[in-house]
Amino acid sequence: MIGALILSIAILTTPVKDTVLQEARITALKETVPVAQMASSVSIVGSQLLQYSGTYRPNSLSAIVPGLYIPDYGASLTSTIYMRGLGSRMENPVLGLYVDGIPVLDKNAYDFDWEAVQSATLLRGPQGTLYGRNAMGGVLSLRTLSPSDGARPSFFLEYGTANTVRTGGSWTAGNHAFSATFRHTDGFFLNAFKNALCDPYNGFSTRWKWEKGNLSTVLNVSFSDEGGFAYGQVIDGKELPVNYNDEAGYRRLSALAGIKYRYRTPEWIWDFNASLQFLADNMRMDQDYTERSIFTLQQKQISDAFTGEVLLRREDKSATWQPTTGFFGFYRLNALSAPVLFKREGIEQLILNNANKNIPADIGYLSIPDQEMPIYSDFLIGSWNAALFHESVFRLGSWLLTAGLRLDYEGARMVYDCLAQLSYQFIPTMKAAKPFEVPYRGGVTHHYFQVLPKLSALYEAGSHLRFFGTISKGYRAGGFNTQIFSDILQYQTMSALMKDLGVYLDKEMVSVVAGNTEYDPEKAWNFELGARYGKGNLRADTAVYWLEVRDQQLTVFPPGMTTGRMMTNAGRSRSLGAEAQVNWQPGQWRLRASYGYCHATMEGKYLPYVPAHTLYLQSGYRFDLGKARLTLDAFLRGAGPFWWNEENTLREPFTMQLDTRIGLAFSRFELYLRGQNLTNAATHTFYFKSMGNEFLANGKPRILITGISFSI
Amino acid sequence: MKLTNLIFATSALLLMACNKPADEPLVPEEANYVGTVTVIYQDAPYDTEDIEVNFTPAQDGKTGSLTIYKIRFVPQMPVTIDVTIPDIDLTSTTEQINLSCTNVIPLAMGGEYPRYTVTDLQGSIVGKEISFSLNFGTVPTSYRGSVK
Repeated sequence: MIGALILSIAILTTPVKDTVLQEARITALKETVPVAQMASSVSIVGSQLLQYSGTYRPNSLSAIVPGLYIPDYGASLTSTIYMRGLGSRMENPVLGLYVDGIPVLDKNAYDFDWEAVQSATLLRGPQGTLYGRNAMGGVLSLRTLSPSDGARPSFFLEYGTANTVRTGGSWTAGNHAFSATFRHTDGFFLNAFKNALCDPYNGFSTRWKWEKGNLSTVLNVSFSDEGGFAYGQVIDGKELPVNYNDEAGYRRLSALAGIKYRYRTPEWIWDFNASLQFLADNMRMDQDYTERSIFTLQQKQISDAFTGEVLLRREDKSATWQPTTGFFGFYRLNALSAPVLFKREGIEQLILNNANKNIPADIGYLSIPDQEMPIYSDFLIGSWNAALFHESVFRLGSWLLTAGLRLDYEGARMVYDCLAQLSYQFIPTMKAAKPFEVPYRGGVTHHYFQVLPKLSALYEAGSHLRFFGTISKGYRAGGFNTQIFSDILQYQTMSALMKDLGVYLDKEMVSVVAGNTEYDPEKAWNFELGARYGKGNLRADTAVYWLEVRDQQLTVFPPGMTTGRMMTNAGRSRSLGAEAQVNWQPGQWRLRASYGYCHATMEGKYLPYVPAHTLYLQSGYRFDLGKARLTLDAFLRGAGPFWWNEENTLREPFTMQLDTRIGLAFSRFELYLRGQNLTNAATHTFYFKSMGNEFLANGKPRILITGISFSI
Repeated sequence: MKLTNLIFATSALLLMACNKPADEPLVPEEANYVGTVTVIYQDAPYDTEDIEVNFTPAQDGKTGSLTIYKIRFVPQMPVTIDVTIPDIDLTSTTEQINLSCTNVIPLAMGGEYPRYTVTDLQGSIVGKEISFSLNFGTVPTSYRGSVK
């Protein structure tokens, strides 16, 4: 791999902007000071690195941003994010996502194909004071092409492994900026049962922006239709191929419309922004992931949301006191339908076996003659948030002192309407099957209030070196465990059925009920010290942190449940870590290194799924060949080791992956070859247990891409 | 005088209305009881307390049914069940209602349950008390309870 890095030292110039210069222009979203003067850790990935590394989805930022790990598995709705030991497989993310200043509320919309993204800025560590909910691990801000960028029309076309085609374009015209992208892939993982690839993808995304004076609007629409859930069973340590019989896939249509208006007075700047967000998706899943007909899940949702924010900042950026005051609110209504269909083997294995094992054989046994047994689960979930925040930055000589506070209220109400339908017969007493229905209806409401303070100090030791320290708090929103309702209905059905029969178990079946499916916010206190150096074409920073997490949201198998998992506030954890990144562009070179170390533990055990190390190394060289430029780049990306379970008995070692790129650019176009995971390193991205079976998801194999980009 | 006669006559009528004639048999009425079931298991009695029993007479009052809730026939039985004994013959006297039947298939778990066919059911309802004995299949069983 080192050899590959050395090999990447080569010949030519680049048609894209200098990353370091570009980074210097970037400011964060709400902060009053430039990124270089922020007293927190920041990673900026400019358009060049995004383009060269083939980063057009969030998971490709893994390890580029130290401490960030977004495993690529499942489908686009999965979006599992780990940052500094925070994160979980389910429910709310630990990273706030902003696209052009608009917060994306629905985690299911996090993973989309970026088009014309000019930069990705990640504020690392809790950013609760300015950003509120879910900004517990940090905030990812994407800036897309704006009319004011004045870019020439440019297009690209790529083709590669697995018939992967990616094409797109962007251009600006007057007050307008347009961009669009399309991607197709046949898929990378064979479903042995169907003898077909299980993870094809077709997706389209487009964006229109309009700016005039202090007013701007953005409209983004994306659609994707994909397979997914490439999980292979592990039996006696032997990995088997993906092998499931039922339909699986994910389809999503999302739209986001935003408007921003800036009003200036001689003293103050008022920023208003609002957005409407829509998401309709449909996930189908073979929930046993085996060739057996056990059970399937379909999860459809239609979500509508409104967000609004007002920010008040001072016009004079040279003033000693730089306040930011704001109000944020949103309302989201989510209509979710998640029917579980038990098939014949599922009825026997999950329903009847559980019921009959408690009934003495000499009394009789329960039979459900249906070939399929549906459990309908419909939810209407409204959630709302209102927050008032303030942050003041004081410039005192070489010191920048920051104090902030956010008062954040969030409420939610879930109305559930569930129904199990079956017919049953108790043999030998019943002569025929009896139709039976079990409804389960009601509502749950919860509210919580968070106080999110922040204190930080930054010291400028000369014009190039800065030291900072921060104490901040963030939280991840609470919610409702909708996934567990099919298990609750299984329990309710068995209870109602036994009662209908007049049979009572000595040992009461244990189950959660709707009232305890809610979970509270997870909170994290962050104590961080760091240093930042920037001079010429060299940027470097490092930080050490100590994160104390309370009411940790953990995915657990609740007692008595056979198939479901649920989120619960089960504990407290601690993350101790260090991060460093260097970006240096001496002459024709492009060098970048990022490293993150995280020691995340709970009750003496390592937190599962959290990599102890992330490492990213990039080496690139540009050769000028008259009117052409040749660029060679190599990227090494690694993460691990992980523990796959809370008991810390299953470990995934640290693995690295080599990516490369060769580009030959002329004045108006560039031809390039890109390789991902060139050594075909075997990695696993996910492990889980279902119904006692173990499953692993594999990382993508070697991918070779050839492409052309051109501008007019 | 007229008023005194009226009061006397009214009182007599009221007494006649309230008091059943001493020679009429009791009319069976639905009632729920709580009491103790005793089953003979391996020649030893096995009691279970707080067992509810519902007695429901038919419309003609000549037959009735007993439903025993959550009964356990042997101590090791990991479940309890509801059992209904239909077609019980009822005979009433002025003091009590007598219950009897034999070779009746009870109803349990959604249908007839011949394994515990009831034989030799004998019992009575006296005032607020009920007691009966029977064989559930080969299991001698008795119950004694009071109105709930």
